[in-house]
Amino acid sequence: MNILQKSRAKSPWILHYDAGACNGCDIEILACLTPVYDIERFGMVNVGNPKHADVLLVTGTCNKRSARVLKNLYDQMPDPKVVVAVGACALSGGIFHECYNVLQGVDGTVPVDVYVPGCAARPEAIMEGVMMALEKMNQR
Amino acid sequence: MSNFIYYVPLSIILVALILAPLVFAFVISIVRSDYLCSLIIIVIAAVLAISSLILFARVTITHQIIHYAPGLIDWNLLVTIADFGLMAMFIRMGVRRKSVLILVFAVIQTIILAWVEFGPKHTEMAYPPIFIDWLSIVMTLIVSIVGSIVAIYSLPYMREHERHQNLTVSKQPQFFRTLLLFLGAMNGMVLSGNLLWIYFFWEITTLCSFCLISHDETEESLRYATRALWMNMVGGVGFITGIALIQLKNLPMDASRLLQLVHTGNEAHLVALLMLPMACLCFAGFTKAAQMPFQSWLLGAMVAPTPVSALLHSSTMVKAGVYLIIRFAPIFRHTGLSEMVAIVGAFSFITGAMLAIGQSNAKKVLAYSTISNLGLIIACAGLNTPLALAAAVMLIIFHAVSKGLLFMATGVVDQSIHSKDIEDMQGLWASMPLTSLIMVIGILSMLLPPFGVLIAKLAAIESSIQNPLVMAMLVIGSTLTVVFWTKWMGRMLATNPRADGRKRESLPALYAGTLAVLASGAVILSLFVKPILENLVLPAVANYYNVAGMEMTPTVLSAPWLMIFLVIALSVLAPTFFNHLRSSQIKPAYLCGEQIASHSTTAQFLTVADSAAEMTVRGYYFEKVTDESVHVKWVTIVATLLIVILFGAVYLWK
Amino acid sequence: MEIINIFFVVVIAPVIGGLLFGLDRKLTARLQKRMGPPILQPFYDLIKLFGKGRIAANQFQLISVSVYIACTILSLILLATGQDLLVLLFVLALGHIMLILGGFSVRSPYSQIGSQREILQLMAYEPLLVFMVIGTYLKTGSFLVSNLMTGSYKPLLISLPAFLLTQIIVMAIKLHKSPFDISASHHAHQELVKGIYTEFSGAQLALIEMAHWYELILLMGFIALLWQTNLIIGGLIAFACFLAVILLDNISARLTWKWMIRFAWTFGVGISVANLTAIYILR
Ligand code: SF4
Repeated sequence: MNILQKSRAKSPWILHYDAGACNGCDIEILACLTPVYDIERFGMVNVGNPKHADVLLVTGTCNKRSARVLKNLYDQMPDPKVVVAVGACALSGGIFHECYNVLQGVDGTVPVDVYVPGCAARPEAIMEGVMMALEKMNQR
Repeated sequence: MSNFIYYVPLSIILVALILAPLVFAFVISIVRSDYLCSLIIIVIAAVLAISSLILFARVTITHQIIHYAPGLIDWNLLVTIADFGLMAMFIRMGVRRKSVLILVFAVIQTIILAWVEFGPKHTEMAYPPIFIDWLSIVMTLIVSIVGSIVAIYSLPYMREHERHQNLTVSKQPQFFRTLLLFLGAMNGMVLSGNLLWIYFFWEITTLCSFCLISHDETEESLRYATRALWMNMVGGVGFITGIALIQLKNLPMDASRLLQLVHTGNEAHLVALLMLPMACLCFAGFTKAAQMPFQSWLLGAMVAPTPVSALLHSSTMVKAGVYLIIRFAPIFRHTGLSEMVAIVGAFSFITGAMLAIGQSNAKKVLAYSTISNLGLIIACAGLNTPLALAAAVMLIIFHAVSKGLLFMATGVVDQSIHSKDIEDMQGLWASMPLTSLIMVIGILSMLLPPFGVLIAKLAAIESSIQNPLVMAMLVIGSTLTVVFWTKWMGRMLATNPRADGRKRESLPALYAGTLAVLASGAVILSLFVKPILENLVLPAVANYYNVAGMEMTPTVLSAPWLMIFLVIALSVLAPTFFNHLRSSQIKPAYLCGEQIASHSTTAQFLTVADSAAEMTVRGYYFEKVTDESVHVKWVTIVATLLIVILFGAVYLWK
Repeated sequence: MEIINIFFVVVIAPVIGGLLFGLDRKLTARLQKRMGPPILQPFYDLIKLFGKGRIAANQFQLISVSVYIACTILSLILLATGQDLLVLLFVLALGHIMLILGGFSVRSPYSQIGSQREILQLMAYEPLLVFMVIGTYLKTGSFLVSNLMTGSYKPLLISLPAFLLTQIIVMAIKLHKSPFDISASHHAHQELVKGIYTEFSGAQLALIEMAHWYELILLMGFIALLWQTNLIIGGLIAFACFLAVILLDNISARLTWKWMIRFAWTFGVGISVANLTAIYILR
């Protein structure tokens, strides 16, 4: 691992987008920020701005409107970037599966690198997912 | 070459600088042909510029202060007659504009003038009326070069200006006549030493500014022109009162001998007598330099076509005011008067900058900035140390170039987007890249290193340290200055990201030429601050205070300016030329992912029910905090009080 | 000597600055009962940012960042080589203004509002810095740092105590620490996203970050000047100030720009002027 890859692995800046979640997964992501999980010890920062982000965390299932936004956000992220889909909804639609307005998971809209299952996904799983995504990014 | 310069007779140079514009002004008003008019203007501009340079070269080579008495006819008599002619014109204007104020001040001036001319005379008038020292040279260079550039710039401007007005008869000859008269009068003022001559030319500039401001003859412009006239006539009253007092006390009537009184040092009682007249002259200077509380005439003057503002603010008119104060500054050194002059100036500096923050009209911002900068110059004159005066002279030079440039660029923008509002200039960087680049250069040259205005400002702060009150005002004022300039630049630069790059802008040749000359002038002059200071400013100040040049080199100049210049230039040029963005790298601004379209002018995002909404951003003007109508009231009151105290200081605080 | 100084400034200063910022993050985390990132975190961030693909909104952003960092380094060099303090301040201001213009150059609500507020931050701290420089002039008769260092003056802090306090305020404003994190903040997720920095990304953001490191060292250098006779003590004082700023950041909430200006211009300017007045009187 060269120094750039190491730095990438140690400094994942996260953009979190809620494409239509029940908020369960979102709360779990926020829980990661708390002293109990403290994702900052891995250098993870929630930046809330695609132009600074390396990792796009998507929760909830895409519908027609949020897909457009998701695409825009993804486009505004500088390379290299990875996408982590969090929660059953983001994976496949979850409990909203086959609802008239949803597009099932988010991978139809943006290329997803890591799928984190769960309803809601646990903070540990989310962190693990980001780590896996970073590994994938460095292997690319 | 040097021989050539030396053999050009002084009389010819003076004729070229003072009389030629006056004569050609007359010619223009007779010929009434636009093309001939343009030709004359360009020729005169060249003549003025060249003769001022010759004069400069001549004084550089000979190191002599010139006293000169023009021959042929009795010029003093001519000036006297013309003086009364002027008064008659003022009275006529007062009647025509139905303005009691103008009438009253004109009559008062006439009476005092008559007393001065025909009353008991003690002083002999035979002393040579032309007095050229370094300060005169600096001023002549500014008037003749910057003024001429503005004159050339007004050729295309006025043509365009009239196209919108549907006039049956072109008023351009009138306009250019007044313009030339103005330049000639300014040159006359700075080159003469006789107080009555200075006064005469001073009043001509008042008259010319009235004509130029009222040029469009709309209700509004007439109203503001009237205001400008009466306010300047208040100053005129101050001026002639000062002259009368000098005459009353049997003191010499010309600048060089008055200054000599101070230098010999053993005439302290005479110098003490001079304080009241000096206060009157400073008062006259305040009105002309539009210091608080006389700021409103300069603000009103912005109704005039933009070249007029460029002229009034940069090289003429307001500079006449500061010139007068600087001219006599050594006389009131170390007195209460001097302290008060510094405080009045610093007060205008800080309040001008404060009021500029709340304005969105570009010309108004520029006007307040002029008031503020002139305040700084006057504060320097009041601080009255060699270093402060050096700073003042540098400020005059650099301010003239930058302010002229900014007004001219604003005029070009105004003719293109038909608005003077800074909010409307949003994104000008994309639509008018050249003009906005020039404007940004102009603004940067007003406030940041490595440009001359800032270097002068640092010297001013350095010299103000002995005077804590003034120092504090200068520091706070400088900070306020940063605010409104940065906001303005920010508005112009605010563009929407888009892949197709900036478009080309084509400017008429005369616009592009004059703007380019001044913009590069602002940069190049700043690059040569040190030589300018050593060869132009320090001599001007040195023979003023009878000190050697070294004592007043500001320490700011010892900074490695060349390195600073290089580093900044490199850091600007490197990403400009060697680091081009590819269009695929340009991404739209972050709008929470809802952006849909981004052109040069608009950016849209989707909102409720997928309807498109325009994204607008505006500048902050802090309306509640910087409300002009509220502040102007107390500023006027305080400034008036300060001026009253200034007169009090003559007696109470020696 | 000059060369060594310049080398030290250009190469070592950012390393120390980066470490200090790492310490800042660690301390902040500890104060919040978190473990916090490693001390080297700012360096990882920086290297990562340099390795990002380039996106930008316009060419002017690149220029503005380049001038910003150049001016910041330049002013640090001016300090290290003993040049004029007043000039230094305005070179620094040039860099800062160019950064603000870079923020302005994109028509994005976040970066626009951030830039407007950044002007206010600049407006709040600038007079405080200038007053301190004037204080040194009053004590030493010159703006030159070299003059201050070589002359035999008592430590400035003795006669200019107020400026220690104003320098803490300046540092807090300049580092965007609470309660002065008006235009942007080191942790995101506010109504401004990242304020003035929103539209910068990748290498540009890295350069800005690096400029902040230089800036921190510069500000600490300013404080160290207050104990110019022994720069180690000066450095320790500066470090204590830095810790104070971190503490302040953690115990206070963000306030409005009006409050900031009012505070800086009444309290800050007030004690500066009071101190200067005392010097004028005692002279
Ligand atoms: S996966 Fe479960 S908890 Fe997460 S958003 Fe969907 S429904 Fe909510």
